Amino acid sequence: MSLLRPFSKLPELNMANVLLVGNDDTFQHVLADAIVKQENNVNVNVRLARTLPLPAENEDSRPRIDLVVLIVNLRSELSLSSTETSLKHLDTGFFLGKVCFLVTGARCTSVPHERLASLRKIAVSLHCPLLFTEDQTAKGISAAAGRVLNILRVSAGLVPLATGLGLSTLIRCSLPPDLDCQD
Amino acid sequence: MEDVAKELLSRLVRRIPLVRLRHVLGRWERLSKTQLLSLDFTQPKWALCENLLSLCEENEIAVKDLTEIEMLYRSEYPDQGVWHVFQLVDTSEESLSSDFMHFRDQFKANLKDLINHVSIKMKKLEDESVWIRIAWGGNFSRPNHLKPTYVVHHLQTPYVFVSSLANKHKPLLFQALALSAHCGSVKDVNLSGRCLTALRDLSMRQYKQVFPSRHQKRLEERDLLPNPSIENEHIKLAEYKQQVASEVFGDGVLPKLETAVYKLETKYREHGSENLARRDEPFRGVVKFSSSNLLESLKYCVSSGMASTPVTPLLSSITHKGRNYFVIKDKQHGSVPNTSASKF
Repeated sequence: MSLLRPFSKLPELNMANVLLVGNDDTFQHVLADAIVKQENNVNVNVRLARTLPLPAENEDSRPRIDLVVLIVNLRSELSLSSTETSLKHLDTGFFLGKVCFLVTGARCTSVPHERLASLRKIAVSLHCPLLFTEDQTAKGISAAAGRVLNILRVSAGLVPLATGLGLSTLIRCSLPPDLDCQD
Repeated sequence: MEDVAKELLSRLVRRIPLVRLRHVLGRWERLSKTQLLSLDFTQPKWALCENLLSLCEENEIAVKDLTEIEMLYRSEYPDQGVWHVFQLVDTSEESLSSDFMHFRDQFKANLKDLINHVSIKMKKLEDESVWIRIAWGGNFSRPNHLKPTYVVHHLQTPYVFVSSLANKHKPLLFQALALSAHCGSVKDVNLSGRCLTALRDLSMRQYKQVFPSRHQKRLEERDLLPNPSIENEHIKLAEYKQQVASEVFGDGVLPKLETAVYKLETKYREHGSENLARRDEPFRGVVKFSSSNLLESLKYCVSSGMASTPVTPLLSSITHKGRNYFVIKDKQHGSVPNTSASKF
């Protein structure tokens, strides 16, 4: 079992690498396209993965990962459970501002509330930001790409005077008081 | 005009959408050109129906001619209602006749021998399919033209497609079919759906199939200039899954099926719940998949990794065996297969 480490490789000049982890192939591809198209100033490299751990044979060709985006589709239980297993294969260094959750399908009324609640608890315990997005419309996807890019620029060190850890403390998910009482 | 004819006509006008009705009436050839032009298709349907009735009375059109409208409509737009597939078994090569006239006379004579009050209309289309419309009557009642049975048969093939057939008429129809097609009996294939062409493609294996091979083909989608800054970590797995999915469900456009039903009659197997597991009688349950295009959805499930690979034979036998109704039983002592057919 190989952990994915944030600082095991050297960074490259004007490069930002983002890893999208998720079950939903079509959404992943569309989002990756949108991210690459939106950024013009730096080279953005998008890597797609279904689950972690990543295959060992790509180890050499893989650049340093600046941000891991875990895509959770609330419509499927499988997506949530595979995200939970993926989290175990991330080095603790990533949780200092280099991981964020991207949630789709939260507006769907048939989704059980427990799924979102349990995801929220995970995000709180890991001090990660939780982004909500619409995956059915082009507008929603471009908005999601923009938000991911904003965090990526910071965590890749391309924004002066800002660090991933600093940004993460500002935008990380916090538990609303009513959910807090239940524990 | 008789009351039956009036009711049939008003029902047809009510049921057929206006655009299609215009097309069908054009093909019908019982109304003259000026009469057709005099019909105003922007009117409400009841007014249109009145006008049509008066035209029909003018031309002295009988029930027989009106049934032709229905038949034209059903054959031009076959995706109405549910079609069931049946197979003629015990046929020898030479016995499947290709002569339409011979088959028609035989079928009519055979069915009229079995039941007195029945009205049969047969037609051969350009694509070599024979359409049969049967209006059934009882012992003392005239044929009911409002609930006809439609049968589609391609001569020289062993498959018959039947729509809206009542259970009590089943043996009659099957006997007449068996006699006129010179086969031993008629078997239920356990395949049904709304799209007639899809059923035909599936039962005669006419859709684009992929045969399993050791050599992995480069998939065409991958060659569409990939973006250099997007890289898939699991590309080999994704390609393997695509390959498996297309081996099982075929490539290209898949036949349109709406449902797949699995009936379970198996022992309950789980540790912990002793009460259920100890019972002698089987645990019954029905699993039904439904979608506007079921095969496409199942293929997506496999290629996207939602269903595990290799694909379970339960799913793959929809295309391999050409059926969508299964009864799953426990394996008996001996060699009884665990998926066996049962009646509808």
